[in-house]
Amino acid sequence: MAAGVMVVVSIALFMFAGVTLWWTMHAWRTPETLAATRFPSPDGTHALTFSLLVPARHEEAVLEHTVARLLETTHTGFEIVIIVGHDDPGTAEVARRLSQAQPGRVLVVTDNSERKNKPRALNVALPYCRGDVVGVFDAEDQVHPTLLAHVDHAFRSTGADVVQGGVQLINFHSSWYSLHNCLEYYFWFRSRLHLHAQRGFIPLGGNTVFVRTTMLRAANGWDGTCLAEDCDLGVRLSSRGARVAVAYDSSIVTREETPNSLMGLLRQRTRWNQGFLQVYRKGEWRRLSTFRQRLLARYTLTGPFVQAFSGAVIPVGVFVALFGDVSAPVALLTFLPLVPMVCNLVFQAVGLRDFGKQYDVRIRLRHYVRLVVGAFPYMLVLTAAALRAAWREYSGRRNWELTRHVGAHLHSGATSAAREGAGA
Amino acid sequence: MTTTAPGPAGVEQVDADRDLGGATAQLTTIPALTPPHFILEPHPVLEPFPIEPSRQALPARRGSPFVDGVLALSLAAVVVLLLAWNIDGFPGLSDDEGTYLAQAWAVQQGDGLAHYTYWYDHPPLGWIQLALFSWIPAEVYPVALAVGGGRIAMLPIAGASLVLVYVLCRRLGFPRWTAALALLAYGLSPLSVTMMRQIYLDSFAVMWILVAFVLALSPRKHLWHHIGAGVAAAIAVLSKETMLVVVPAVVVALWQSTSRTSIRAWALGGFLSGLTLVGVFYPLYAALKGELWPGDDHVSLIGAWQFQLQSRAGSGSIFVEGSNSNLLLHAWLYYDTVLLLGGVVAAAVALAVRRLRPPAIAATLLALVAMRPGGYMPAMYVVQALPFLAIVLVGVLATGVSFVLKRPLASRSDGAGVWAGARWLRWAMVVVLIVGAAAYVVPRWYEGDRRAVVSRANSGYLAAAQWMRTEVSDRATATVVTDDVLWLDLINAGYQRDNVIWFYKLDLDPAVQARLAHGWRDVDYLVSTPAITQDPNSLPNVAELLRHSEVVIVFGSADDRIEVRRVKKEAS
Repeated sequence: MAAGVMVVVSIALFMFAGVTLWWTMHAWRTPETLAATRFPSPDGTHALTFSLLVPARHEEAVLEHTVARLLETTHTGFEIVIIVGHDDPGTAEVARRLSQAQPGRVLVVTDNSERKNKPRALNVALPYCRGDVVGVFDAEDQVHPTLLAHVDHAFRSTGADVVQGGVQLINFHSSWYSLHNCLEYYFWFRSRLHLHAQRGFIPLGGNTVFVRTTMLRAANGWDGTCLAEDCDLGVRLSSRGARVAVAYDSSIVTREETPNSLMGLLRQRTRWNQGFLQVYRKGEWRRLSTFRQRLLARYTLTGPFVQAFSGAVIPVGVFVALFGDVSAPVALLTFLPLVPMVCNLVFQAVGLRDFGKQYDVRIRLRHYVRLVVGAFPYMLVLTAAALRAAWREYSGRRNWELTRHVGAHLHSGATSAAREGAGA
Repeated sequence: MTTTAPGPAGVEQVDADRDLGGATAQLTTIPALTPPHFILEPHPVLEPFPIEPSRQALPARRGSPFVDGVLALSLAAVVVLLLAWNIDGFPGLSDDEGTYLAQAWAVQQGDGLAHYTYWYDHPPLGWIQLALFSWIPAEVYPVALAVGGGRIAMLPIAGASLVLVYVLCRRLGFPRWTAALALLAYGLSPLSVTMMRQIYLDSFAVMWILVAFVLALSPRKHLWHHIGAGVAAAIAVLSKETMLVVVPAVVVALWQSTSRTSIRAWALGGFLSGLTLVGVFYPLYAALKGELWPGDDHVSLIGAWQFQLQSRAGSGSIFVEGSNSNLLLHAWLYYDTVLLLGGVVAAAVALAVRRLRPPAIAATLLALVAMRPGGYMPAMYVVQALPFLAIVLVGVLATGVSFVLKRPLASRSDGAGVWAGARWLRWAMVVVLIVGAAAYVVPRWYEGDRRAVVSRANSGYLAAAQWMRTEVSDRATATVVTDDVLWLDLINAGYQRDNVIWFYKLDLDPAVQARLAHGWRDVDYLVSTPAITQDPNSLPNVAELLRHSEVVIVFGSADDRIEVRRVKKEAS
């Protein structure tokens, strides 16, 4: 009986990990698929106009630099809409100065809502957007000047309603977990999202995302109560049959940094996981047109929790196999789920090497060691975040966890913490 | 959707509250919508072009796969027919065949990996696969000896390997006629016919390593195929451990196939993952049974490796006249010199030809290992090299032919008369080459293959098995010592499983010795075959048994003499 349970659970976990691995590796299946994940070269025509939304909350330190970089954009048709809170005079002052320096190009919208979060800020700005396309950036993003030209071309050449550009955490050398976090982003934006775009179900990213304004307005903008508003928007647009194009180009990717503490990472991940759970419970994905899409949605939205389950169960299985009284074939089977996981680790090592080449950074032996040694602890962090998210959702704590830092904004450390609140 | 809670006035409020889309907010700056900020003229709609390229981007295959399929399958069918014809009559049954078949039988019966204590002599995947097929012979050819008929189970493996040789040649970039010729060279060489008929683990390993090559050279360069190549290579090594020698050649194939692509590192990562993650289950199995490290009271994987690599008596150098390895080489050359010597020479040449390099490296590595001074060389070692020797031999021939025919003819055709003559000359050279080669090879191979079809090498075994089945009355209780070939036939004849004993287990397996409390006196019959008598001094208990027994009946003569001996219990 116990052996039967072990066999069934092992095979199920093996299949889950195998499918996840396969989807993670989507972009590298063949040289042709890899080539197709890049932005097509722009044709030099600027046919669309863009409204770039930059929600900024306690971001006076970085906002100016971000906007200055956005203004270097080579595209001619765009406006920048900075959204500031009514209770944040510091950032508002920076924003006002920027807008006065570039009248017409930079606009400032004030968010008066009582409980502030990123989706609400975006909704406040949506009515003022005049561009054909709305783009979202976070206040600390480093955006490449030619990105809009690429996106413009991608919209026209693919006939897409939504274009998701690549986002990449860069500071892999900062700590052991930042290495894993960077690689997660690398595999997600470089590979996995392309599969989602192809299959017609996509949890969008929080920034470098571009949506046709009419479609965004028809969809009623963002969900102000959802902790993963980006994912939610993607699911709602997918279920309306929106065509999504994803493109990743290391030269024009939007660069970000990892949370600056392990606790920050845990909170951020908890929020995403809880957001996924909320999106799952909202059930918008049930409107997807095909069974395969719905299956993919179910699988993706519950993925973090199955992963957490694997993280908890596999060590138990291996322990029983080693020290329990089970027959050799059953014991061998309990090791089966480890196969795709170790395989994943091998591919992460290859990915790390690739990352180093793409971003022209030197990957040293110690980084590979960190990758291997940190793999299991990182999985534990993800497991903890998933459990925490499930518990918070169960006990009804659905607040935007990081906004409680509001008020401590004069603290230099709080700036980045609040930034996480705005980022996704 | 949005919050509409009115808050304190925003910074530098210029515009009054505007209600747009249900949101309440303040706009701080009046936007000035003047060019050149916005391009307002609509642009002509461009033709949409798919961001994911279609399959058409793949390199076009030459010719229709249907023709390839029909050609490869029909040629393989012809060769398999030749293999099946008189399969139990030639070559002589070998002890190893009996061992593997009996172990497959044990797997089939659910008795674990062997009917004696499994001591990690070989990884078990070979006879586990054999167990999947070994039920077939009893259905289609029930009158044969177990091992003789059991050879029928090898026919599907041979057929698959033949087709794979064809596919591999095509993926190496050779035209159809070359691939077909390689298939025939591999299948019709008398050495192949002899070896592919026999129940050897190496044949399974060969099939899987060919699968690994074919997947590594997949024209789609799909990551799945590269992972699959690693898995197939692991299965090959777990079918017969000596196949490990060939794995570097698969890596070279993969390396070549992914040159000038962006996915090489991923392909290699996938291949190595497949290889190691499947391969690791063998030591893991040993570890879970507590049999990884050597110990006093149990068998172990590492202990078996130590025996194979260090303690096992070497078979001498292949170059020293009279050594076991040298005798073995001559036994192989007796069947065929063309494929063996010609193939080794061709492999050395083929190392210089890029597309022939993977099979050339495989053949060269196997040859180098065979030529190493000490060490043990098993009788069926050559099986692993045969497909690669055939491919490089035919490949070098084809490269030579295309060199002679196509070399700068077209590019320097300014003097038409001269070159028309040269063209004629070149064709003549090719015809002479091919006719000459055929005149040398065909009579020799015809003679060898004819022998394989008409010889009856196993009548002694057949008669002995018949006698043991019909002339011994106390079959249910008698204890018989015999070689591995007859073991299954005696079980099938009604002897008790525990009472039929492989001769060398008398000396080497403590579990068997414990069962026979009175030593040789507990044995009733000894069926003595050449395998038993060739080296009796190394097995003292067997020698004792030979001394204390008398001949009842003799089958065959001279080299294949089989004696049924009764143990003389009264004389002690």
